[in-house]
Amino acid sequence: MKIQGLTAVVTGGASGIGAGVTRVLAKAGAKVAILDRNVELGKAMAEEVGGAAFVCDVANDESVQAALAQAREALGAARILVNCAGIDTARKIASRKTGAHPIGPMKRVIDVNLTGTLICCAHASHAMLDLEPLDEDGERGVLINIASIAAFNAPNGQAVYGASKAGVVGATLPLARDLARYGIRVMTIAPGLFDTPLAGTMDDALTAKVLRNALFPKRKGRPEELGSLVQHICENQMLNASTIRLDAGFF
Amino acid sequence: MKLDGVAAFLTGGASGLGAASARVLAEAGAIVALLDRDMKLAEPLAKELGGIAIKCDVADHESLRAAVEQATAAIGPPRIAVNFAGIDVSQKIASRSKGPHPIESMQREIDINVIGTLDGCALFAEQMMNLEPFEDGERGVLINIASGAAFNGPPGQSVYAASKRAVAGATLPLARDLAPYGIRVMTIAPGFFKTPLAEGVDDRHIDKLISMVPFPKRWGDPRELGELVKFICQNRMLNGETIQIDGAMR
Repeated sequence: MKIQGLTAVVTGGASGIGAGVTRVLAKAGAKVAILDRNVELGKAMAEEVGGAAFVCDVANDESVQAALAQAREALGAARILVNCAGIDTARKIASRKTGAHPIGPMKRVIDVNLTGTLICCAHASHAMLDLEPLDEDGERGVLINIASIAAFNAPNGQAVYGASKAGVVGATLPLARDLARYGIRVMTIAPGLFDTPLAGTMDDALTAKVLRNALFPKRKGRPEELGSLVQHICENQMLNASTIRLDAGFF
Repeated sequence: MKLDGVAAFLTGGASGLGAASARVLAEAGAIVALLDRDMKLAEPLAKELGGIAIKCDVADHESLRAAVEQATAAIGPPRIAVNFAGIDVSQKIASRSKGPHPIESMQREIDINVIGTLDGCALFAEQMMNLEPFEDGERGVLINIASGAAFNGPPGQSVYAASKRAVAGATLPLARDLAPYGIRVMTIAPGFFKTPLAEGVDDRHIDKLISMVPFPKRWGDPRELGELVKFICQNRMLNGETIQIDGAMR
């Protein structure tokens, strides 16, 4: 699809990877609706890119429905959804020192990263089903989910996060199959270590240790580099149902 | 990397996916060298794109080595090298009517698709290592072409699928071998694209194949694959990965 003039919804679009996606899509001519828990950051980002921000907790079905409805009213029907909203808890599943992984944060990570992604896919795609196709191939929209290399190769302490992101990868093909008849594509990106507030919580020693696992280039990815992959996926219609690792060869 | 003025070598660059990619790269400013068996196709395309055509059989080491040296002498060492050269001999591994798959065509397919690709990587990378690094220390990028058959091969494609899965399998260790030199390695696994290889298939079979593509319900345009090649060159964070581009045909 040609991005110019289309409406895009970016969850978690006010910071980190989501901010990179928001900026790149806006630069390509999209009207961007930022769905974020953080109202202040969301508003600032909306102002920067000439979009609109709506408060949203992706783990809450009603909140997602309300935010998507507001976004549609403000910016028109969305053709692009990018699910960047995600959280991380680094904690071993059990250890002598910290005991068993508590159920509360376990549920929260799965609710936000996995169920939240699926909820947003469900409501955003449902709103696309009856839109006019954009071209003679019948394309109506594209959903892009953000997983993580932790879906394939997670370090210790990331069993829950890794499982949540592996779930997103696993959903990609059946989501694409569900929506192909409506001309809606579904793709997933699995980023490595990117320069985000989430990654910023790691100290320098840990960052250096993690980057040793990157083949080349040995640096954090820039959110704009992920944004450019989102843009390419939107523009290249033959890309469907795939998960693309964007990780500098991180193993 | 930025494509303006860089040398791009493409095996099998004279037709199909290779030709379309050569066109996209040339339009982005790259100087292309088309390494192909078919000079009748390669020469006019090279002329049109402002590049060079060099005769080459990727399954013949001496031929490939000579072609790489000739191309390097003409336009400099490659910053980009894409291994498109490949063949597809569709035949069941054994059947009552045709007997066992003959060893000669089996060997030939492996020689071209697997060894031709690996030998290409070896010879291209050898040239890339001597280049001045760009930003981040990047010297070059190798892109190999696998196939959707690598992951989900239909009947009659056991040899083709094995050859293409081998290419996909080599991606990570190739990227590991070459990361110290700032050379990235990526693989693309295309689904059903409109190429001379696919156009040989009869119409009824084509309709059946297209009906199996979830969305978009059509053959891929080789240019769309060329755009992915270009994007891989431009986005440095892509390394060691195989990208399936197939309209969800799994």
